[in-house]
Order: sequence, then C-alpha cells, then structure tokens
Amino acid sequence: MDKAAFFLSLVLAQTPQADLRCVPTGEDFVYDCSITLTRGGQPLEGADVTVGADMPSMPMAHNMRPAKATPGTKPGEYKARLDLEMLGEWAIKLRLGGPVRDQIVVNYEFDSQGAKPAMGGHKMEHKKH
Amino acid sequence: MDDYALGVLTNIGLFSFVALSAYLLLIAGEMSFGQQAFFGVGAYAGGILTALYGWPLPLAALAAMALGALAQFLVALPTLRLRGLYFAMATLAAAEMARILFELLHWRRSIDGELAGPDGTQGFRGIRWIFEHGIEPMHYLGIVGVLLALVVGLFLVVERSKLGATLRGIGQDPELAAAVGIDVQRVKLGVAAAAGALAALGGVLYAHHNTYIEPRNFDIMLGVHSLAYALIGGLGTAFGPLLGVLLDIGVLESTRMFHGYRMIVFGGLVAVLLVFRPRGLLDERMVLWIRQRFS
Repeated sequence: MDKAAFFLSLVLAQTPQADLRCVPTGEDFVYDCSITLTRGGQPLEGADVTVGADMPSMPMAHNMRPAKATPGTKPGEYKARLDLEMLGEWAIKLRLGGPVRDQIVVNYEFDSQGAKPAMGGHKMEHKKH
Repeated sequence: MDDYALGVLTNIGLFSFVALSAYLLLIAGEMSFGQQAFFGVGAYAGGILTALYGWPLPLAALAAMALGALAQFLVALPTLRLRGLYFAMATLAAAEMARILFELLHWRRSIDGELAGPDGTQGFRGIRWIFEHGIEPMHYLGIVGVLLALVVGLFLVVERSKLGATLRGIGQDPELAAAVGIDVQRVKLGVAAAAGALAALGGVLYAHHNTYIEPRNFDIMLGVHSLAYALIGGLGTAFGPLLGVLLDIGVLESTRMFHGYRMIVFGGLVAVLLVFRPRGLLDERMVLWIRQRFS
C-alpha cells in the first residue's frame, strides 16, 4: 500500500485511533498524559475513557489500577494520570465507552523524559507503510 | 465490582488455564517450559478466526483448542523421547521457535476497508468480538470463570478415576508403569495434546479480553510463571495451580511498594518455598491430610 492510500484508509477508518503525549510529573513512574482520540479522521468526543497498562513481555502480571480520563480542552482530547511500576515499554489500553464501545491498545516506551511510540506500537506501523 | 478488581480476577482466571496445562504435564512426570507457545497458538488462531473470518467465539475457541492440541502433539512426538532437564530444554526451544514464527506471521485482510490481522512484530490488533457482541467485562469474567470451573471439575473427576491413577503412576515411575502393561508413550502423547488444548483455550480467551496480541506476549516469562504456579501451589490436586496463581498475583499485588523490584522479591519467595516444599503447598501428603481431616 502506498503512503497516500494508507493515509486515505486512516481517514476512512471507523476504528478509533489514539495518540498519546505524556510528561513525567516528578514523582517516580507517574506521568500526566494527554490522549487524542479520532475516528474517521474526526475528533472523537464524549467518550468514557479508562486507561490501563500492561507490559508486553509479561502479560497479565502487572495489574495497574485503571485511571478514568477526563475531557481536555481540545476536541477529542482526554487527560489521565498514569501510575506505572517501572520505566520501559508499556501497552496502554484505552477502553472506550459512551458513543463508541471499543478498546485501543498502543505501545509506548516510557523514560525519564516522557513517552514515545514503541516497536509494536501503531506509530511504527504507520512508518512501515 | 470496579474495573481494577475485574481486571485482576480475569487475569487470575486466564493465567489458570496455562498453569493447569503445565500441571497436567507435571503430574505425568514432564516439566514443560513451553506452554506459552500453545497459549500463543490459541490466541492467534482464535483471533484470526473471529476478527478476519467472522467466526463466533465459541467455535473459534474449539478450533483453536484443536490446533493447540495438534501443535503440542507434534512437538511431543520427538521431544517425549527425552527425559527430565532435556525434555524441559526441548520444550523451551520449541516455544522460542513458535515465538519467532509468530514474528514472521503476516496474515492481513481488509475488513471494512481497514487492514487487520497478524503483522509480525507489529502485533495483531482489533480482536473485537466481545465488543461487537456487547459483552461487558463482568460477563466476560463470568465466561472465564465458568470455563475454568468446568476444566477444574474435569480434572477432579479424572484424578479420582483409573486414568488419574495411571497418570500419577507414570509420573512417579514410568518404568514400573510400563512393566504393568501401560503404554507410557501413548498416554504421555495424549496428556501433551490435552495440555496443548487447555493452554490454547486460555490463549483464545486472553486474545479476546486484551483485543491485542504480539509475539512478545508469549515469551519465556509466561512459561516460567505457568510452571511456577503449579510448583508453588502444589502437585497434589488441580486446585494447586489455582492457588499458585492466586499467590503469585496476590503476592505481586501486595508488594507493589517495591515497584520494579517486586519480581525479584517474588523470585526469592518462590526459591525459599521450593526448598521447604518441593512439590508445592498442596502436595500429595497435604491433600491426603485434608481429605482425612474433612471426610
């Protein structure tokens, strides 16, 4: 699939997409995250978003307490505080309720600076096409 | 029940399937470090069938179990010639081969205008059957719980039957079992197939609970833990692996103050426990004592 066709498919896609921006709070392994949800290229508003996390290499063992996200100031933006156990790659699970019932899983690498999309995350998938 | 409790209980249930599959092999005298591979086979097979081909989950689970049984049967055919540590190493090698095969697996189809399916190391997203069918987390926990209860019930029936005595006989002394006319190889192949099916059932339930799987989910850590659950909980009853999972998740959860070091703490606890109770907390003697006490 060429790049244009890929981006067209993203716009047409009815599956919700998520983008995360996280900054460390200063407290160990605690991050303030801004989540941008889109669907069909449009901001997804009014969703009930619960944010969980799991480590890909040890599934089910890290039972992080899910955080309820609150609506942000921009369309499709939600805010949540993540309290992780350690640095490294986490599979962030966004469980959506309200107008859309779904679950999105995105992989991010958390370090002392914040978080960036990780191998296995959808950002890498975008680059591949 | 809040989201956190639901998540923990569902994870305990899902882990129990793979722990019981390791336990089944252990009572037949074989230590497998590779049950995560068949958990993965179930996860991928079930996910492909529901997400790409629209199969209903129950049918996909049955097909995934059949594939898991076949996969472990094929692995057991050559590896059951080995004994002890060599068998354990062979199962670990087979599991790593399976994980690499998952990394090479690209099976993408266009579903509603979007590409879906396993994409190698990028993983497999969008296994949405439970969302598409309006199954709430509480209901899914119920499904996992009922299936687990059925499996444990089946174990209890088998363990009290002649087959159960045969399995323990083979596990304790395969030469003696062969001397009394038991076809040890044939029974062990059957046990391996059953263990593969059980792990695959856990895998298909995990994939649909998580909606996303990737090859790293099925690496050595899962295999070591599943074996540890059976060994910690005890080899005297099918409740042993369940106790192991409860202790593992319970201990891990209760030592959250250690953050990244909690796995080290847990490993130390496992080592100490196995020194003093090498066949686990609910070992055969403990189970006999409980039966005598309460019968």
